Amino acid sequence: MFGSTALFRCHDGRRAEMTQEAGSIVPQSDRAAWENELPGLMVRYQQGDPIAVEELMRRLSGMLMRFFSGSCNSKSDAEDLFQECWIRIHRARHTYRPTEPVLPWLFGIGRHTKVDGYRRRRRRESRELLVAELPEPPIRLQHEPGSESEKFDRLMESLPDSQREVILMLKVSGMSLEEVARATSSTVGAIKQKAHRAYEKLRLVLERESS
Amino acid sequence: MSMSAEIGTDCRLIDTELDLALIARAQSGETSPLSTQAREHIRNCARCRQLYAWLFEPTPSAESSPEVYRRVQQQLKSSLTPVAPQAAPRVLAAQFLVVFLLFASPAIALMGTAGLREMSALQLLGIGSVLFCGAALLSWSLAWQMTPGSLHRVPARVAVVTLSAGFLAGIAILFPWHAPEAFLLRGWKCLKTGILMAFPAALLFWLLVRRGYAMASGMLGGTLGTIAGLLGVSVLQLTCDRQDAAHLMVWHGGVLLVSTCLGIAVGRVINRVGRNAG
Repeated sequence: MFGSTALFRCHDGRRAEMTQEAGSIVPQSDRAAWENELPGLMVRYQQGDPIAVEELMRRLSGMLMRFFSGSCNSKSDAEDLFQECWIRIHRARHTYRPTEPVLPWLFGIGRHTKVDGYRRRRRRESRELLVAELPEPPIRLQHEPGSESEKFDRLMESLPDSQREVILMLKVSGMSLEEVARATSSTVGAIKQKAHRAYEKLRLVLERESS
Repeated sequence: MSMSAEIGTDCRLIDTELDLALIARAQSGETSPLSTQAREHIRNCARCRQLYAWLFEPTPSAESSPEVYRRVQQQLKSSLTPVAPQAAPRVLAAQFLVVFLLFASPAIALMGTAGLREMSALQLLGIGSVLFCGAALLSWSLAWQMTPGSLHRVPARVAVVTLSAGFLAGIAILFPWHAPEAFLLRGWKCLKTGILMAFPAALLFWLLVRRGYAMASGMLGGTLGTIAGLLGVSVLQLTCDRQDAAHLMVWHGGVLLVSTCLGIAVGRVINRVGRNAG
């Protein structure tokens, strides 16, 4: 199931080689090593190393973008959150402790960005007025019909917000239950309960889809 | 639909196995082997097989546009300066506790120790323990709340409720119930003094908190308000000569209630202003 070497292109145009399945966000087979390198990069980021910023962005942006895409209607909304999240990460970089795992810290800030963005959007929508002509609709997150991304988004849409968030963190980032509890300022028991409820719903949706 | 919508008991057993597999994946990058029973179940149950496969298959990537990516990267690099990592939560908690004691001590010295003289050893020990444990618990809670990704061993809400319940129970059990005498007049004075003391204390705690990253401003404000109110209550406890249960519960407890509510309100307002500004 895991681990075939794939070449993929970074945002900055460089080609990077990494042991991972094509299209995957986290290199599954080399996950432990991949994760062990993150604290070192964070320390270098705190010390002001620009290469560390590039490397951290390269490694974590896909994960964050997927996290935001899972709960946004349009790509521009997801990109807004993505941008805001990185700025918050930058401002809060001193709160990271090298002895702690990076992903719960990162997703803690990501979750906070998402909640704030959601509330802001809701307030904006409640103030919206009827206009004579409809503005251009935002570009929706579009995937090829039947693609993995489309299936993924459809499954996520079937879950309530709180369960979706837990499944996104467990699946997208590959965090453990305790790490998700850290990221959401919650307890392991509460996360487990939400995950189990989500599994129930996902089973039914997956079955419906396959039939 | 009703039949197909039911999830069997065996399927629920798989959930626990999935938890273990996710933990193993997080630790080593490999899923742990399933138990024989689970393997057997997955072989026979299409729902669980699909769920297992979906959960552990690689997640399709999502990418921002290259322009956004470059813009963010440039923004970060242009303001890149070395920063010192924040202290560990236990050090932060100790700092809050030290501020608590440093602020309370001169206030008690200024206002006298009439309450201390009125209390028996048991009362002093009992209520002193509740107040100190409450201050320690809230200090930890603040330290966790200002550090993203830290494990909240006691949720902030639970800390505030536990402290309030412990305070009320301690008062009800340890202190006598006297007929009220100038209940309103003297009580109002205590409430006013306690709240006036809580204000500068809250400001001081906030100066410590703002060095971290506040996630839920409403809850953080509530915790700040509670610890500041607790400081006011602790000083009143040692300086007020009215040591009867009704007075302590209503007027001293009132300090805790008012400061907590004010803290939540201020936290929410700050959050809203910050969000709109962002």
